[in-house]
Amino acid sequence: MTAKTEGPGFGAGLITGLPIALGYFPIAFSFGVAAVKADLSWFEAVMLSVLIYAGASQFLALALFTSGAPVLVSAFTLIAMNLRHVLYGPALMKEVGAEASRKHAWAWGWGLTDEVFGQALGSLARGQKFSEAWMFGLGLAAYAAWISGTGLGAWAGGGALAAYPALNAGLGFMLAALFLSLLLSILTRKAVPAIAVAAVATVAGTVIWSSTEGILAGMICGALAGVVRK
Amino acid sequence: MNPDLLIMALLAGLANWGFRALPVILMKREQAPGGVMARFLASTGPAAIATLFVASVLPQIYPAPREILPLAMGVMATFAGFWPRKSIVGGTLAGAAGYAATFWFLGLGG
Repeated sequence: MTAKTEGPGFGAGLITGLPIALGYFPIAFSFGVAAVKADLSWFEAVMLSVLIYAGASQFLALALFTSGAPVLVSAFTLIAMNLRHVLYGPALMKEVGAEASRKHAWAWGWGLTDEVFGQALGSLARGQKFSEAWMFGLGLAAYAAWISGTGLGAWAGGGALAAYPALNAGLGFMLAALFLSLLLSILTRKAVPAIAVAAVATVAGTVIWSSTEGILAGMICGALAGVVRK
Repeated sequence: MNPDLLIMALLAGLANWGFRALPVILMKREQAPGGVMARFLASTGPAAIATLFVASVLPQIYPAPREILPLAMGVMATFAGFWPRKSIVGGTLAGAAGYAATFWFLGLGG
């Protein structure tokens, strides 16, 4: 694998992050709305997005907090939901090459969410060069959209999109469309077994257990399919 | 800010940072090319993205199907928006627009 180390800068990363920002903003907006509906203040809603920065976890955090669940139980539930993220950094660095700098990974690593990982991997697969500044820009575009969306949603309050149900529905589909576009961008014959096994395992895991376990099952089984492939 | 909420957010956020950043910081540089771990990591990306796509549309299909036609049109519009220029932005926006247009055309959502 050739190291892709001479890469684009921070600005190019911001541009690469644009599709994620477009997808994140409406979801974060919904989170902001849900947070104030759950009697959190504007500041508390925004701080959850700043500190946790994980969509599903934040919605669950609202449910746990408002139900009065013990704080440690709530925290460990949220932590368990994001265990899958441990795979992203090593998978990305495998694609980039061993010589690539990761001196500032402590900073850009925070932004390595599902979508940022997918976008970075898709871009690299299409020949994009890697740099830590580019990764930082990519992550920051998504993070800024997440925080600003939350802030605007919490400010707008409940019912902000109620008058526009079609727009609301379209925005709700945006992340699924982003994942599908990312999948198409990295689709190769070699990747098909991992993709197929992941899809089946996700459905099976969700039906048998829950969506959280389904996601974990899909990622692990799909990656294992790549190991057994000749 | 409520102290319980702050502690919960700090613990979850710290763990998220650990899950995302520490594996990059701590991973060894030397990995046997074509080794088991290398193949596992190479397959993680496609597997993760496929998983997240399936997980994002599955609630509309199981346990009770809802808004199936907007979903189908949204998926087709994503393909149509992506292919001409292999554009992720194009695919994402076309998918969302296709979904919203079908939703509106069918008069869903009251």
